[in-house]
Amino acid sequence: MTHIVSVQQVFKNYTLGTFVVPALRGVSLDVEEGEFLAIAGPSGSGKTTLLNLIGCVDTPTSGVVHIAGNATETMSERQLTRLRLHTIGFIFQSFNLVSVLSVFQNIELPLLLQRSASAKERRARVEALLDRVGIREYSTHRPSELSGGQRQRVAIARALVTRPQLVLADEPTANLDSVTGTNILDLMKELNRTEKTTFIFSTHDARVWSYASSVVRLADGQLVDRVSAEEAVRVGGVGNLPSARAT
Amino acid sequence: MRGYLDTLKVIVLIAFRNLFASWLKTLIVGGIILFGSMLVVVGTALVDSVDASMSRSIIGSVAGHIQVYNAKSADELVVMGGFQLDAADLAQIDDFKGMREALLTVPNVKAVVPMGLSGAMVPSGNIVDVVLEKLRNLIRRQQAGEDVSAAIESQKEHVRQIVGVLATDMANVGKLLTDKAVSPEELAAIRRASDPGFWSEFDKDPLATLEFLENRIAPLASDADMLFLRYMGTDLAAFAQAFDRMKIVDGTTVPPGKRGFLFSKWVYEEQVKLKTAHRLDQIRDAILKRGKTIAGDLDLQRWVKQNATEVKEIMLQLDRQQTAMFRGKLQKELASHEDDVSKLLAEFFRVDDGNIMERYKFFYDELAPSLTLYRVRVGDTLTIKAFTRSGYVQSVNVRVYGTFAFEGLEDSPMAGVLNLMDLVSFRELYGFSTPEREREIQALKAVAGFKDIDRDSAEAELFGARPAEAAQPEKAATATSDADAILRGLGGRGKRVKLEDETYDPAQLGQGVVLNAAVIVKNPRLIRQTMKDIEAAGTKSGFTLRAIDWQKASGLVGQFVTMIRAVLYISVLIIFAVALVIINNALVMATLERIAEFGTLRAVGAQRRFLLGMLVVETLAVGALFGGIGSALGVGVVAIMRFVGLPASGDTLYFLFSGPRLHPGLSPINVAIALTIVLLVSGASSLYPGFLAMRVSPRQAMQSDE
Repeated sequence: MTHIVSVQQVFKNYTLGTFVVPALRGVSLDVEEGEFLAIAGPSGSGKTTLLNLIGCVDTPTSGVVHIAGNATETMSERQLTRLRLHTIGFIFQSFNLVSVLSVFQNIELPLLLQRSASAKERRARVEALLDRVGIREYSTHRPSELSGGQRQRVAIARALVTRPQLVLADEPTANLDSVTGTNILDLMKELNRTEKTTFIFSTHDARVWSYASSVVRLADGQLVDRVSAEEAVRVGGVGNLPSARAT
Repeated sequence: MRGYLDTLKVIVLIAFRNLFASWLKTLIVGGIILFGSMLVVVGTALVDSVDASMSRSIIGSVAGHIQVYNAKSADELVVMGGFQLDAADLAQIDDFKGMREALLTVPNVKAVVPMGLSGAMVPSGNIVDVVLEKLRNLIRRQQAGEDVSAAIESQKEHVRQIVGVLATDMANVGKLLTDKAVSPEELAAIRRASDPGFWSEFDKDPLATLEFLENRIAPLASDADMLFLRYMGTDLAAFAQAFDRMKIVDGTTVPPGKRGFLFSKWVYEEQVKLKTAHRLDQIRDAILKRGKTIAGDLDLQRWVKQNATEVKEIMLQLDRQQTAMFRGKLQKELASHEDDVSKLLAEFFRVDDGNIMERYKFFYDELAPSLTLYRVRVGDTLTIKAFTRSGYVQSVNVRVYGTFAFEGLEDSPMAGVLNLMDLVSFRELYGFSTPEREREIQALKAVAGFKDIDRDSAEAELFGARPAEAAQPEKAATATSDADAILRGLGGRGKRVKLEDETYDPAQLGQGVVLNAAVIVKNPRLIRQTMKDIEAAGTKSGFTLRAIDWQKASGLVGQFVTMIRAVLYISVLIIFAVALVIINNALVMATLERIAEFGTLRAVGAQRRFLLGMLVVETLAVGALFGGIGSALGVGVVAIMRFVGLPASGDTLYFLFSGPRLHPGLSPINVAIALTIVLLVSGASSLYPGFLAMRVSPRQAMQSDE
């Protein structure tokens, strides 16, 4: 299998005034195509930082991040942006839709940025996705007229409209009630299965681990282990993770 | 290409949706832009129109498109705007003919009009002088045997009337101030002239008594007998042809080859007309043309008061018969039983808004025909005395042929302050030699034995032994009588008083000395280049010429529009600087509020320039929309102004507007300027917020809540 994501010995430090705060400390991780990978860990463990690096929205202090065969450390800002546009889809915890655009326009936006699809093609793709995520009847609505679950469906459709190889989701169910969260995960899982799209999502909610093909557990900026969903569920919540330093 | 258009479409869509989403901010920013663009359209249209009309005033009245003068002059030439009598110190141009020919080689030059500016105080004589002169002529005719006793009696009555008016006047001064305010000599003179015995004396020795009256009484009636005249000496025919707005109002133009003077109608009314009548005209014009009222205007009230208190200038004109006639008419008109005509006149002139038009008509229909309305009339001869450049006083007599005005500028002092005179008389007044003067001087030199000697032989010539010549005193005596004969032959000073009747060769106008010249060009857009060509053509022909455009030649007047334009542009600059700051701040605030949106867009693959484009389009859209509305409103305002016309409320505006009303025009350039400024400002004000937006990291999308 090909590694869609390859993270090798990545360190990421943030500077707060005169203090250097290590967010990631020598994390290495390979993700195969078609995986449905969960990154688990408590708050401050480095989940979002790792997602940022994989999503090319941040650069590591040291180490190597390869996305779809591209060595990101050698790429310019413009190239990274293009890589995000064509290869990666994003689903945000807070949905992050453009409030002044309709549902349809929000989903269409990445295609417009790509400038490769014709209007007809764009319409077909957007409508297909509207159907897939079940919000066809809301296509002309503005985000403010939708519920949280509906908004996240729009975000999922937007993430998938460019047919990316990789979709990153940062705590996709954190702002949703449990039923809606479950529905969203079902949808993501289904799309993972049918579209063969790799999904990597961060979560600290042990209930969603069961959806993952494998769970990468982080603590204090270090990768603790990578276990199957069943193992992760068996071990339990993030509080029960073994000490990162012990590994 | 299609992809770019689609992207642009989404940028525009986001921009417009954002504008609607924050409509209050959009309205505030748009309101400022709207006001600014309207101001630019209206302001530039007005300034351009004033510029165009003022340039018509200046170019069409005196200056021409270009003025040319000697570059070696001490002063800069200013042909307009000055009311002072002394003109700029200009070096002369000796050969106008040569210069004109050189200038006409420049393809854009249409006509060259010779000019010279100067000023003088001119005695016009007061009413007592005029009456006494009439009396003296009658006495002479009587002494020559003519029977004019009735006419003499009538004039005597008039003089006695004048003496009476002056005596009353003096008594009033004594009452109002102190007795010491009246000179004892003047009082004695008036008493003597009022005495019946004085008039018995007159019958015995009229000429001696007249002398007393002329020397002692006439000076007491000092009714502004000096005229302060600024005049331009020019080739009057060429001037009339080049400045086609000039029209003759009274009389005729000066015939070719004649010496003559044309009063500017404005000066003629302002200085020469009976002051009471002029003030009455001014009151009526202010009411009819400018919508003023006596009750509401201090100037008009002042004129009414002056007319009511200064009836003396009319009283001095009236003989006994006229006094009786005035009394009868005024008593009837005013329904009064007052016998004192001066009191009746005072009451008559105490006009108000209700009776001004009726009194005005009555004055001109009933009273004015018996009065001398103008101190100098068409056909009279003016003796103009002026200081020449070398400092001595020169005088010429010129006949007044008429008055003139520039069409559309009749009421403007700026265009009307200059009178016109033939160039030959001007040259003489200014101290330049004329062919007649040259001949006279040569004759004087010949009879006086003048001869030119060089410095080396001066001593020998002056003090050396020249027995042969020294011993010929009788020859000198003969020479003196020869001189008289020659001078008599030439005309001399005694005859020069009649120069106004003599003709000169009109060819003289095209030759000889001038101070400056107006150049009329074929294509006014090429003035700048033509000025260079003129100077070059001058240099080529041996002249050191300086060419200045009409704006510079008109001095401060010409700079006026430049000043207005500067004020307008500074105002626009301030408004748009404020607009820029406000738009910038509003956009910065909006950008900070939209960090998550920008972060998301960056995360999903929008390049930085996409964000910049979004903000620029947003502000340009506001600019174009509100700038467009503002410009359209501006066009509407200018159209209304054009239809209604802006009234010229004062003399200066009258000149600037080139007439009583300004009907501003509008060119597409005015709107283009407004829109360009608006779009530039809008674009500029979005740059900093755009820069901030471009710096937003896609990581921000991960950190923010919606």
